[in-house]
Amino acid sequence: MLAGTGTGTESRNVHGQAIAITVFSTVKPWGRLWLPVVFVAARLLPRSQERLARLSFIHFARWALIRRLPYDGRRLRYAHLFFESNFNGGWEEYIDAFAYILTRDMRTVWGSSYGFPDPLPAAPFKAYIRRNELEASHFYSAYPEATTTMVLAGLELAGKVDALRRRGERMGPEAFAAAWRELLTDVQGSL
Amino acid sequence: MSADRAGQACALTVLTPVLTGEEAALHDYLDGLHAGGSPLARLPRTHFARWVIVPDFVTDPEQPHDDPLGCAHLLFTSNLDGPLDSYLDELCERLVPEAEPIWGRCAGCPQPAAGPALKAYLLHNRIRTGQFVAAYPRATVAEVRHGLDTRERLIALAVRAQGLEPAELQRAFRAEFP
Repeated sequence: MLAGTGTGTESRNVHGQAIAITVFSTVKPWGRLWLPVVFVAARLLPRSQERLARLSFIHFARWALIRRLPYDGRRLRYAHLFFESNFNGGWEEYIDAFAYILTRDMRTVWGSSYGFPDPLPAAPFKAYIRRNELEASHFYSAYPEATTTMVLAGLELAGKVDALRRRGERMGPEAFAAAWRELLTDVQGSL
Repeated sequence: MSADRAGQACALTVLTPVLTGEEAALHDYLDGLHAGGSPLARLPRTHFARWVIVPDFVTDPEQPHDDPLGCAHLLFTSNLDGPLDSYLDELCERLVPEAEPIWGRCAGCPQPAAGPALKAYLLHNRIRTGQFVAAYPRATVAEVRHGLDTRERLIALAVRAQGLEPAELQRAFRAEFP
């Protein structure tokens, strides 16, 4: 297994570059109604999802509201908000980005949880997440060597290299060399 | 689109109660998986996945009342490619050696922990997603790996190709990307 390079969290939350964060928080009674509205709004108005996706170190993230235990259908006294993220980099930097860049989104999602201190200043917010975080018993990434940026770059490059491969079959060496230089100029930010 | 989906990617969340007295053994077993590599690698449609033992919900000092889980629960989540139904078929077929010591320690798990009965158990204990975000929602694991491999090979070729004549460059490119 690739040695963990993610920082600021327990080793079981790390696989290579990837870090797992798993958080449960207890939701105030009004959050039972509020959060489903927030989730539907996020799907219908994808700007918040786009803002999250622009945080270039998140591979996948999700929230879920647990009102009943699925096994026996027992209704919980409070709803509980589950959050998980698969990201790269450092735990501290991740929460900082949430606090400073997605301040309003974090208030919208976690504002209905008991004890939520507001994202700013970031230190109490980090302490809150730490208190509510659970360590993974086993965490797996299919490509532990890769950051989100590397994945996105690879996906972009694969298409462009394939296009050059196909076009290059009909090119002479000089034309190919020019197309190669053009490709490198085009993708230099992804290398 | 369903809240469990982002592009072709799907979010699976399963929460099952751990049998009384089995929590420590389950923890030890999952902890031991680190040493020998992950069985989840046998599910090639899995981007990221985790097992987490939830001993109980955290009680915040502001909460008027406790809200105990009653017993420890096992959380399993996966970020996967394509339809959930066939993914669970694969899981219940390919993770048979691990399913027994993992979900076999959970209440209500079928014996043996395999096949359609295990699939039904996991589906029954599924939690629906509220919001699911993916940075590359249209890319499968295979496409991600292909992209990463292409990037590495392109970087290596760009270094090697410095100073090559056009004909040599074209030959080197064709050899690298046939």
